[in-house]
Amino acid sequence: MAELPAIPVGLDIGSTTAKGVLLNPDKTVLTKYLQNTGASVSASANSIMERLCDAAGVSREQCTVIATGYGRASVDFAMRNVTEITCHSIGVHHLNPNIRLLIDVGGQDSKAIRIGKNGRPEDFQLNDKCSAGTGRFLEVMARVLDVSLDELGPLALKSKNPSQISSTCTVFAESEVIGRIGSGDAPEDIAAGVHLAMASKVRSLAKQVKIEPPVGVTGGVSLNPAFRHYLSKQIECTLWMPKDPQFTGALGAALLAFE
Amino acid sequence: MTEEREKTEKPYRKLETQAFLQQIAFRQGFEALEASENGRLTWVTSGFPVEIPIAMDVGVVYPEQAGAIIGAQKIGPEVCGYAEDLGYSQELCSYARASIGSTQRPDDVPMGSLPPPQALLACNNICGTVLRWYDAISEMTGAPVFLLDTPPVEGEQLPHHRAYVRNGLNELVGFLSSTFNTTLEDDKFRNVADLSSNAINLWTNSLEACKNKPSPLNCADRFLTMAPVVSSRGTEHCVEFYEMLFAEVEDRVKQNIGAVGDEKIRLLWDNIPPWFILRFFNQLAARGVSFPADTYTHAWSGAIEGVDVSSILDEMVGMYSNVYLNKGLNAKIDKMCQLIKDYDLDGFIMFSVRSCKRYSLGQMASKEIVTERTGVPGVIIEGDMVDSRLFNEAQIQTRVDALLEMFV
Repeated sequence: MAELPAIPVGLDIGSTTAKGVLLNPDKTVLTKYLQNTGASVSASANSIMERLCDAAGVSREQCTVIATGYGRASVDFAMRNVTEITCHSIGVHHLNPNIRLLIDVGGQDSKAIRIGKNGRPEDFQLNDKCSAGTGRFLEVMARVLDVSLDELGPLALKSKNPSQISSTCTVFAESEVIGRIGSGDAPEDIAAGVHLAMASKVRSLAKQVKIEPPVGVTGGVSLNPAFRHYLSKQIECTLWMPKDPQFTGALGAALLAFE
Repeated sequence: MTEEREKTEKPYRKLETQAFLQQIAFRQGFEALEASENGRLTWVTSGFPVEIPIAMDVGVVYPEQAGAIIGAQKIGPEVCGYAEDLGYSQELCSYARASIGSTQRPDDVPMGSLPPPQALLACNNICGTVLRWYDAISEMTGAPVFLLDTPPVEGEQLPHHRAYVRNGLNELVGFLSSTFNTTLEDDKFRNVADLSSNAINLWTNSLEACKNKPSPLNCADRFLTMAPVVSSRGTEHCVEFYEMLFAEVEDRVKQNIGAVGDEKIRLLWDNIPPWFILRFFNQLAARGVSFPADTYTHAWSGAIEGVDVSSILDEMVGMYSNVYLNKGLNAKIDKMCQLIKDYDLDGFIMFSVRSCKRYSLGQMASKEIVTERTGVPGVIIEGDMVDSRLFNEAQIQTRVDALLEMFV
């Protein structure tokens, strides 16, 4: 049997963004790329593959691809697919082997994963059929407050008196925010209330797999400083965030290509 | 093409005995129709002491079983929708909605609507919804409801609870006597109790054979072959069916044949299955996953040993009060841990059934405790047994895949 091609690639096709990582033989990142997933999983997977191969100066045939994320099964050129739960766990363990609890908040899901000493997940909990506690929640609220998603976090951090916002449902929270605007609450207080609600939702998820420091955060939402601030307060511990928190799933997938 | 298909071995082995289920279902359907035409048909809940009406020559059919059939036909959302059109909430149990929907529009549900009842027999040992559900059916059909009230059992059943349930059984006999002009006789009751005990015994033996590796039965096998022990306990054809099933199971064990072609991972299933997607289990079978045990089909145990009406009724108090769903969370956790140990299981899947609050309540807490006690991982997936609108396949796939990846 011929040996597998040597260049490891991980593709993480998430609900909102698709990420790709191509590794050096020493497991450091040679190149990475992120784009919106869009309507076609295979189109975005192919486009990322093209970018990665161009940047690394290699051909597709030389790569061993592992796919993860919600679109993982649709990446037909992947050698195999592995869930994002396992991949995030492996990716984060590679970067910081001390992390025992990982909180990953993406566009449409949030996960709490307890990572074992071997880097494999020991237990996990995902949000169910509800977008409160995910990136979508913040997207909706930013739109209502008429600020960009990037501005929402910094705005919230200006608040000294967060508004009370329900955390049970994105749709109802949206009408609640509109109500707060009507009652004259300051935009920064409403924004802070939104992040507080989100953090409390994620905390209850994390509690189900036990909050054990040190705690890592990944996923697009972890880039939001107000989310990290309120989550850290809610779970009463400091958070560790990798340099590229959106890429740990793809990194974990690429690392699996070595196995 | 056909030849090629035959050559490809399926990842799971279908039971030969399963072929007889259709005959039993046909026979039951015919008998129910006849009983209804003769003014002697009752609708009963799955945990009802059915030996009593059977021994009194009163016909029985099961709306819950009809719900499962509606689910398996993949018409759950449509039939539940008929009940929703009447104003019932989507939050109501989908067995109840399927039952109310098919009673409202029987012509639209040829396989799943039941013949008109002359009485409705509800026992709340399986859930509290049955009372309101049977009340609704009573309003629609004019049949009276008899409620056998079995207070939940936490630890040992208290003497005054026993006396209360015993009194309920007396009242049941009185209700059936006056409604159907019949009596409960020692000999007939003893005979029905014997047949019921024999069937339960054979069923229990078949379940316990799944301790073998590989397991001779998978989840879907048990969910399908449990039908007669639910609906025909106390009849001869039920005993005959389980004799055949147990013979086939023993044969598989002797030949070291498993239900799943290449059994690698053994899991426990908790709760009612999603009837509309039983292929879920077969898809996992293709990956070497078998389910040698589940909490749902292990609901019956014990033989009835009493010699006359009074002593048999005494025994039935404990038997029907101590069913799995009528006990506290601790008993459920103990049972799951015991099954994991006895059947040497690697992990568990808890199905959080939107419809069945009684079954699903406390799963989050019990998952943690079961893992702590047994050391095996588990996962909770969410959905419904009949209403496929509540079943998100992609979400479930990710959770189950992640669980399986833990065994690598």
